[in-house]
Amino acid sequence: MSRNTLRFLVVAVLLAAAVLAVAPVLAQDFITYNSYNGDPTPRAFDEKVVAMWNEMHPDKPINHSIIAHEDFKQAIRAYLTAQPAPDVLTWFAGNRARFFIDRGLILDFSDMWQAEGLDDVFAPGFTALATVGEGKYFMPTSYYWWAIYYRPSLFEKAGVKAPIETWDELLAACDTFNAAGIAPFTIGTRFRWPAAAWFDYLNMRQNGPEFHINLMLLKESYTDERVKATFARWQELLDRKCFIANPAAYDWNEAVDFMAQGEAAMYLMGGFITDTYPDELEDDLDFFRFPIIDPSIPVGEDAPTDGYFIAAQARNPEGAKEFLAFLASKEVQQMAFDELGRLPTRIDVDISKATKATQQGIALIQGADYVAQFYDRDTTPEMAEAGMDAMMAFWDDPASIDQLLEELEATRARIAAEQAGQ
Amino acid sequence: MATMTSTTSPPAPVFLDRLKRVNWTPYLFLALPLALYFVWIIAPTLYSIYLSMTDWDGVTAVPNFLGFANYQRLFTDRTFNEALVNNVRWLAVFITVPTTLGLGLALIFNQEMRGGRWYKISFYSPLVLSLPVIGLIWAWVYQPRAGLINSLLVGIGVQNPPGWLADRDLAIWCIIAAAAWRQVGYVMVLYLAGLKNVDPTLVEAAIVDGANRRQLFQHVILPLLAPVTTIVVVISIIDSLRAFDLVSIMTAGNQRTQVLANYMYIQAFNNYKMGYGAAIAVILFLISLIFIGFYLWRTIRDELEY
Repeated sequence: MSRNTLRFLVVAVLLAAAVLAVAPVLAQDFITYNSYNGDPTPRAFDEKVVAMWNEMHPDKPINHSIIAHEDFKQAIRAYLTAQPAPDVLTWFAGNRARFFIDRGLILDFSDMWQAEGLDDVFAPGFTALATVGEGKYFMPTSYYWWAIYYRPSLFEKAGVKAPIETWDELLAACDTFNAAGIAPFTIGTRFRWPAAAWFDYLNMRQNGPEFHINLMLLKESYTDERVKATFARWQELLDRKCFIANPAAYDWNEAVDFMAQGEAAMYLMGGFITDTYPDELEDDLDFFRFPIIDPSIPVGEDAPTDGYFIAAQARNPEGAKEFLAFLASKEVQQMAFDELGRLPTRIDVDISKATKATQQGIALIQGADYVAQFYDRDTTPEMAEAGMDAMMAFWDDPASIDQLLEELEATRARIAAEQAGQ
Repeated sequence: MATMTSTTSPPAPVFLDRLKRVNWTPYLFLALPLALYFVWIIAPTLYSIYLSMTDWDGVTAVPNFLGFANYQRLFTDRTFNEALVNNVRWLAVFITVPTTLGLGLALIFNQEMRGGRWYKISFYSPLVLSLPVIGLIWAWVYQPRAGLINSLLVGIGVQNPPGWLADRDLAIWCIIAAAAWRQVGYVMVLYLAGLKNVDPTLVEAAIVDGANRRQLFQHVILPLLAPVTTIVVVISIIDSLRAFDLVSIMTAGNQRTQVLANYMYIQAFNNYKMGYGAAIAVILFLISLIFIGFYLWRTIRDELEY
């Protein structure tokens, strides 16, 4: 009996010790976070943010996995349909977010949005991006803008005044640069999308952002006279040889070389051009807004926005909301702005250290009621494929534009009908 | 139990007897491979055919059934037709150019010559590289400004050298040329192996009979190489139908270089149109079936003859 009691006591003590040792682990409820920040600098930042969270919340550690951006785009469907799905995921605004939201794969976090009072601190354009119907599904945290990047030294050499503000100035600048033996614009269209930026801007400047967005949403026709007018503008530029020869041979970053070597003066490109542009020439790089064609039309800008969402089948939705609120916090956005130059979607981030031009750019985007996300993000993937194909065919043979637009219109009508049928 | 069955139903023991007499061992050995074959080959093929008749987007649980609508659309789809034509071009080049060149090289290097082994290796070495690497290298070679070809052309004074991959009419031929460059070495090695098996006494006999070089090649060596030629043609057909890597790396299917495999990939995984992508896959499968059927028919006929 006494021996049995002793045995019982020993076992009980051992059990208690084991439970005490394991208890904190059991109490931990981890949060899974999958991100696409595969490049070295964003990756380091991403890991730093996770480390900050883990330090503040040792009871809710993050299970972080990072894969390359392109692979992530393929893997996202598997992630979102998994049981359980990862909790928090990186993604970007626009049509590709809508695709998943429409299929009920994304969690509505309006309660957290309300509780955090985000309506007051997010710029209106970005609140619009977060909202679908009554719910909040997407947390926009940073964006970059597109602009015409240029080398002031080449402008000086050729005798062109910067910034170029109107269409006539732009055409005149093309002639002046060509006369000076400098290509006005460099562009690498091997993967087509840099050409789509030209379509976005020409269409928004020619017809206004509202028409552009409706065209992206497949509510306007591609055979509309207004679309033809946009391509007519584009043809003016091609006729004046505003671009380098053989753009389709170059990747977007290969085309930066023409600028670095002083053979081309300008590049319509996203803010990430500075990652590729040689550091020693960084002082000789500036940007200005795409020239205005019609001053009476509202100004639209391309500002692709990155952010996060929570999977509808998340294992830990409450933890996910908390982490999402942290990712959208002023603290993290401030850090992203200071360290990576990522532009904040919150209006309370301190931007006083940035250059005057950057501050003006931020003010412009934050003041807009709607920011375009870029051609292949605003319209459906299938439409974007067909559209960018047509743009490249147009570039090669501008005379074929009427036929190309008719084919695009047929594609648009078919996709719109399919969407209506679903 | 056994006695009961024997008394109530007389045919059963006969049946059981027959069951016992059947040798189960081969079926047992076949069961696992057959199960795997069904799970990994037959079932996915049938499933793809089913998917090709739906509008599945890769996410929705139950897709809509469309019948043959996807196939109808294919034939009015400009990019699909472009891809089909490009695959045919690829096929036409592949069964002629690398085959002829490879055979020629094999005939040359089959003779004893100084440094012959070195030449053989140099022609064979592209095969060691993976296709994406070949794609990257050739994209540099074709680069209009600093690429090898245009540097040479400018060096000898050509004014406006072509843009190669940037030229919508030339791009697909540039890619096929890069693929053929790799294929030549492959074909050469196959023919070299074939030539080693040619019975030298037949060649000697022909020479004694007074055959000249052309006659020797045409009437003795080439017929003896026929089995190798069949293999070379089959490999060329398969390689040209599955063309994907080079196109994906060099142009991503832009510049009018789309091929079926890459278009299928874009539709399914970029545009989230799994149904439409599956329809392209099925067409690719049917085209392959024609050639595979032809090959099987020939092999079986040959086996019956001998």
